[in-house]
Amino acid sequence: MQKLGGFKLPHFFNYPPYFTLQPVRETREKQVQLWKELILDYCRSQKIFVIGLEEDFPLFSNPVIERSLSHEAREVFLSALVAEGRAEWMDKSHKKCLILWLRIQAWADYILNFVKENGFEDSVMTVEDIQSGIETRGTELAGIDRCVLMRALRLLEQKGKAAIFKGTSTDDEGVKFSA
Amino acid sequence: MGNIFVKKPKITDVDRAILSLKTQRRKLARHQQQLDAVIEAEKQAARDLIREKRKDRALLALKKKKTQEELLKQVDAWLINVEQQLADIELASKQKAVFESLKAGNNAIKAIQSEINLEDVRKLMDDTEEAKAYQDEINAILGERLSAEDEEDVLAEFENLESEITLQSLPAVPASSVPSTEAARKTPKVQPEAGLQVEDKEDEVLELPEVPTTTPVPATSDDISTKATRIKVLEEPLPA
Repeated sequence: MQKLGGFKLPHFFNYPPYFTLQPVRETREKQVQLWKELILDYCRSQKIFVIGLEEDFPLFSNPVIERSLSHEAREVFLSALVAEGRAEWMDKSHKKCLILWLRIQAWADYILNFVKENGFEDSVMTVEDIQSGIETRGTELAGIDRCVLMRALRLLEQKGKAAIFKGTSTDDEGVKFSA
Repeated sequence: MGNIFVKKPKITDVDRAILSLKTQRRKLARHQQQLDAVIEAEKQAARDLIREKRKDRALLALKKKKTQEELLKQVDAWLINVEQQLADIELASKQKAVFESLKAGNNAIKAIQSEINLEDVRKLMDDTEEAKAYQDEINAILGERLSAEDEEDVLAEFENLESEITLQSLPAVPASSVPSTEAARKTPKVQPEAGLQVEDKEDEVLELPEVPTTTPVPATSDDISTKATRIKVLEEPLPA
């Protein structure tokens, strides 16, 4: 099995037909499904949150078989993800896509669980600490995209489980979790 | 999305202080990394310059590296201070939490105790004692009745036994011709089959201790003393 940055690629990655957008509806649906799963899995393992369509995303081309996904194909697959709610377009022109291999709600739950497990209730953390601090090392939270994190935190705030605040102007944004 | 007033955790000044400290900690850590990078770069530059045989410039690079290292030491110390304060704040807040819960526990005990009146308890114990004393009295009275009857029986039995014993002791006298005192001592134990043995013993008794049978007291004492002197004589030569 081929590997891409430590990620094991599935078999279909080496079949040229999968890199061309299939005309037949049934095969197209199967193809889209496989690619959707692949994108999500890959992003989860590599902690990738944003895919730029114009950029050279390693997943979208296989140099071994000399095939790569066309722009149209990429847009089709990513749109399918957006339709499923696992991704969001960051701009109108569909140039950048935010990949939510964990939905925002799932992220919020994950954060809440993390807080409970480590006894961080009633304590204050800076947002950056959550992103790249020592406490989150080894969890899914390490290296999380700031945008995704803020949205998850705001969701928690709505539920009353957290409060986002800022002290003085030089301070980082902070979060206080409640028990 | 109807509920505007969702219960969010309240942000206190303490929280803001902690946030400041944590931000500072982060900034210092970043500064440390920067300094590390600069130090490494200067070291590398110095190496290159030495290779190019530009000693004075190499020395300059090393001096720069030294100042950066001093600054790094300073930053390290500040970072430790910040960490220390964070730890202290956390400790203080936990102490406060413990104190609060102890206070609440204390109040709970007081509330429960206030429900039990001390006077009521005393009265209850007194009532119980009274009842017990009453019960004991009843027992005593009942008991008296019984023991009065028993006592009569016991007395009767006692008189019976006494008479039995005295009857037993009388037959001993006519059984032997020996001086009464010794015989009286021996006979309670005697059985008819052992009568011969007793007589033999009596003979032996008669043979050996001739001295005790004689009545005059001074004589016995004389004999004893002569015996003693004889022993003394015998003993004397030994120590010599």
